[in-house]
Amino acid sequence: MNWIESPTMTRVEHFLDLVTFRHELISSNLANVDTPGYRTQDVDFDGEMRRAEQRLEGDPVAPQVQEVKGLIERPDGNNVSLDRETLALAQVQLQYRAGVELLRNEIHMVQSAINEGK
Amino acid sequence: MNLFGVLDISASALTAERVRAEVVASNLANAETTSTPGGGPYQKQLVVFETEEPGQGKFAQTLSRFGDLHARGVKVEKVVADKAPAVRRYEPGHPDADADGYVSFPNINPVEEMVNLMGAAQAYQLNVAAVQATKGMISETLQILT
Repeated sequence: MNWIESPTMTRVEHFLDLVTFRHELISSNLANVDTPGYRTQDVDFDGEMRRAEQRLEGDPVAPQVQEVKGLIERPDGNNVSLDRETLALAQVQLQYRAGVELLRNEIHMVQSAINEGK
Repeated sequence: MNLFGVLDISASALTAERVRAEVVASNLANAETTSTPGGGPYQKQLVVFETEEPGQGKFAQTLSRFGDLHARGVKVEKVVADKAPAVRRYEPGHPDADADGYVSFPNINPVEEMVNLMGAAQAYQLNVAAVQATKGMISETLQILT
């Protein structure tokens, strides 16, 4: 650990990485809302966060993508649910904002130390 | 992939849905077209969507943090003609009438086309929402240091 990058920052970084990854999957699900045979993809957010927590030092590993079970499938084999995806999109946006806000706070703290609290 | 790559995914969906809407418009416009350059009545067109393979050497891929890409865009794989037989109507005075006085009209159901158009418009809107979400996230990131 160095003195500029606090453990919180690393944690928030992993959080933002995971949120971005999930946002990617949601965008992909939304893009393929009319593609025959496409299956909804998502990550186990809590599980992945715990996994990232365990290896705070070192490089992040690629999260596991999984097919979402229990969704209603249309006759063309596609099971993207608009309600689920729009809700997830809103969730991801707020999570990202929260993460960025935390990161800002951390950086401002370092900045304030650099400026001798002025 | 980074957030800019996500924009590519949503953009691919916008393109695909626009093509779908164009095809619907063409079907509606030609609902009564009895002669085409290829001969015979106009045939209803259908779009076939397919998930897009991530392109090689793309900017988004170069910047990708995780090598394995799962998020995929969508593309119009092909536009195919519907195989449904033409509707035959008795109109002896029509220039395209056959020997028995029947004219072949395209088998297009305007209601079906409108439903398809609504689906395309809804999916388009949805992906615009995704673009706006991504845009918001990018601009928030840019404000970290201000």
